[in-house]
Amino acid sequence: MSKELLFRTLKNEITERAPWVPFAGVHAGALVGADAKDVLTDEDILVKALLEVNRLYKPDGQPVVFDLQLEAEILGCDLVWSNDGPPSVSSHPLEDSMSIPCDCKLPTENDGRMPLVLSVMRRMKKEVGDTTALYGLICGPFTLASHLRGNDIFMDMFDDDEYVKGLLGFCVKVANRMSDMMIDAGMDVIAVVDPLVSQISPAHFEEFLLEPFTKLFEHINKRAFSSFFVCGDATKNIEVMCKTKPHSISIDENVNLKAAKTITDKYDVVIEGNIPLTTVMLHGSQQDNMKYVVDLIDEIDEYKNLIVSPGCDMPYAVPFENTIGVSQAILQTDEVREMIKNYTSATFDIEVELPDYDNLTRPFVEVFTLDSATCAACTYMMGAVDVAKKTYGDKIDVVEYKFTLKENIARCMKMGVKNLPSIYINGNLRFSSIIPSKEELESEINKVL
Amino acid sequence: MRLYMVTGFLGAGKTTLLKCLIKLLCNEKIYLIINEFGKEGVDGSLLRQMQVTLAEINNGSIFCACRQDKFEIELERAIVERPDVIIIETSGLSDPTNIRKVIDQDKFSDIDYKGCMCIIDAARFEKVYTTATVVKKQLMVSSVIIINKTDLITSEQFVKLKNMLNEINPAANIFFSQYGNIDKKMMEYLTKDIQLEEVLNTIDITLQKALVNISSNMTIKDLIAFLDMIKFDCHRIKGFVDLKNITYYVDGVGSNIKIEKYDGIANNINKIVFLAGKGMSLRKSLKTACEWYSNYVKDVEL
Repeated sequence: MSKELLFRTLKNEITERAPWVPFAGVHAGALVGADAKDVLTDEDILVKALLEVNRLYKPDGQPVVFDLQLEAEILGCDLVWSNDGPPSVSSHPLEDSMSIPCDCKLPTENDGRMPLVLSVMRRMKKEVGDTTALYGLICGPFTLASHLRGNDIFMDMFDDDEYVKGLLGFCVKVANRMSDMMIDAGMDVIAVVDPLVSQISPAHFEEFLLEPFTKLFEHINKRAFSSFFVCGDATKNIEVMCKTKPHSISIDENVNLKAAKTITDKYDVVIEGNIPLTTVMLHGSQQDNMKYVVDLIDEIDEYKNLIVSPGCDMPYAVPFENTIGVSQAILQTDEVREMIKNYTSATFDIEVELPDYDNLTRPFVEVFTLDSATCAACTYMMGAVDVAKKTYGDKIDVVEYKFTLKENIARCMKMGVKNLPSIYINGNLRFSSIIPSKEELESEINKVL
Repeated sequence: MRLYMVTGFLGAGKTTLLKCLIKLLCNEKIYLIINEFGKEGVDGSLLRQMQVTLAEINNGSIFCACRQDKFEIELERAIVERPDVIIIETSGLSDPTNIRKVIDQDKFSDIDYKGCMCIIDAARFEKVYTTATVVKKQLMVSSVIIINKTDLITSEQFVKLKNMLNEINPAANIFFSQYGNIDKKMMEYLTKDIQLEEVLNTIDITLQKALVNISSNMTIKDLIAFLDMIKFDCHRIKGFVDLKNITYYVDGVGSNIKIEKYDGIANNINKIVFLAGKGMSLRKSLKTACEWYSNYVKDVEL
């Protein structure tokens, strides 16, 4: 983990590897058994979840809260909550009145969920701020304007451009205020998340958004790093987004990262992305995730102006092992490239003999890891087994198989091991990706002792 | 299982159209997937009466185009129920081509995709078409376009609107309606893919023509992404390409592009032709795409 590496990248320096920022918003909750609403409304749960993200995924940077509805809620939008995603806006206070809110409505530290958010930011700064860059996410002005005004914002752009510019002006003030509060609470990077930007043409971007976004990034850049997050096919807007002068632009799978980088490099803007959220992170295997990241990195000539991250807020149910695989592929790219090559090549004439599990004299704990020396989750899982070994001594046998060796890959395939790290006891899968507590592991060992 | 997709921009009248569609299919077991908070929900009692199963997708951000997983989960649930008909109402801001990619996966091979219908608000169309880029995509994938709220425009405006739609998607069958009402006959005009080939013979699509010479070290992934940047601004894309010693035939009609390996003798290798009609932004799109893929584009003839 190195926030300095991320900072150097954001300063357009060449680095020894690409920085890694997992956008674990509601997904952080899944790591500690909390649902999306809990994680966005309970301070202690959120801190616990974010620390688990930090521990397992070894990020160089991580977001603290990923909820674009935070400002909208403060400004009077109703929210509908979900257990496995961020809330949705269900009403728009300016829908029936074409007005611009008074500056007296600008968010303060005491409004809505701001006390919780800012407190979590301060706590995270204290806990991991020395090693990890922290991202404060704010709702972009255009998306906030649509939250407030509703669907009519698109008609307004045609009918009354002055009104839209006025409303965007107010939304920029909100964004300035939010970024100030978050920077004061210790955030290193302010990400302006504006998915709606991909819905308009570059000409409309220039007409309506170029000036407000430029002003916003000018404001943020005085005190922190900035990032411009967009969702969807924003291909044609990447160049105009660069003109607003953020330090980085974050894109999802709808934009070809390698080609986009030829444009962002012209402006010396860092590009961030774009592991596919559904096809790879949610539904792919651990190997798919590692391969995707290695291929992505290999497409880029040098470690400059690139941050590897998911395309956007990670789905709640992304399997932990997939993100662990992504992390490993970024932190140990050469080793993982070799693993994938060995995994996919026809080298499995290596004969591996499996133990006679039915006739063991004592419990046999086998730990399959990517590499416990470098993969955080593997280190913790191996650590849990080492503790058990100390407790049980000669009563149990323990072995680690690192995926870095060809014969261990062959063993994984023969055993049918799908995810790493995993613990097998007497040939049976007992823990996959989730690190067991001392009690949980001992309970499983005792069953076969 | 038949599947119908209903699309249209925010506020165009999709919910009203859905109600009408449900009534038309009243003798069948319907599974309805809605991906948007409507101002007006589909009538619960109507659904119960018609034995319709309703699944509403609550995406944190309805405009978030990068998340198809919830839709995919609902579609998986739907096929377990074995309905006769699945109807999908897309979010007004979502790109229907992404949804089509989900439907086309092997695991949904039991689904018989019948086509997409797009509803537009006659009075507001020009405005949203000007400002919201997704509207063009919604129209280009639809074989049936319903102009709604025609009572709110004059006959001159109606003719102008119809001409505009014809230019955007010459293959679409255009109907009009006052309150989102449709009749069963309109559904017969739905097709899985846009049948542009036939109408292209009857209209002049060569008002704009471009020839792009690409390098053979381009990857398939980059070629697809390159063409994706242009496909909504032309009617036809075609040519043979030789990439890394493999020959492919590129055949694009409307927004539907097929790239298939080709074993025959190919002429004019790596020269891709783009044809567009009046009012299409081919030159502009091509210019941007060529900047993005400047490493692979050797020259462009306009």
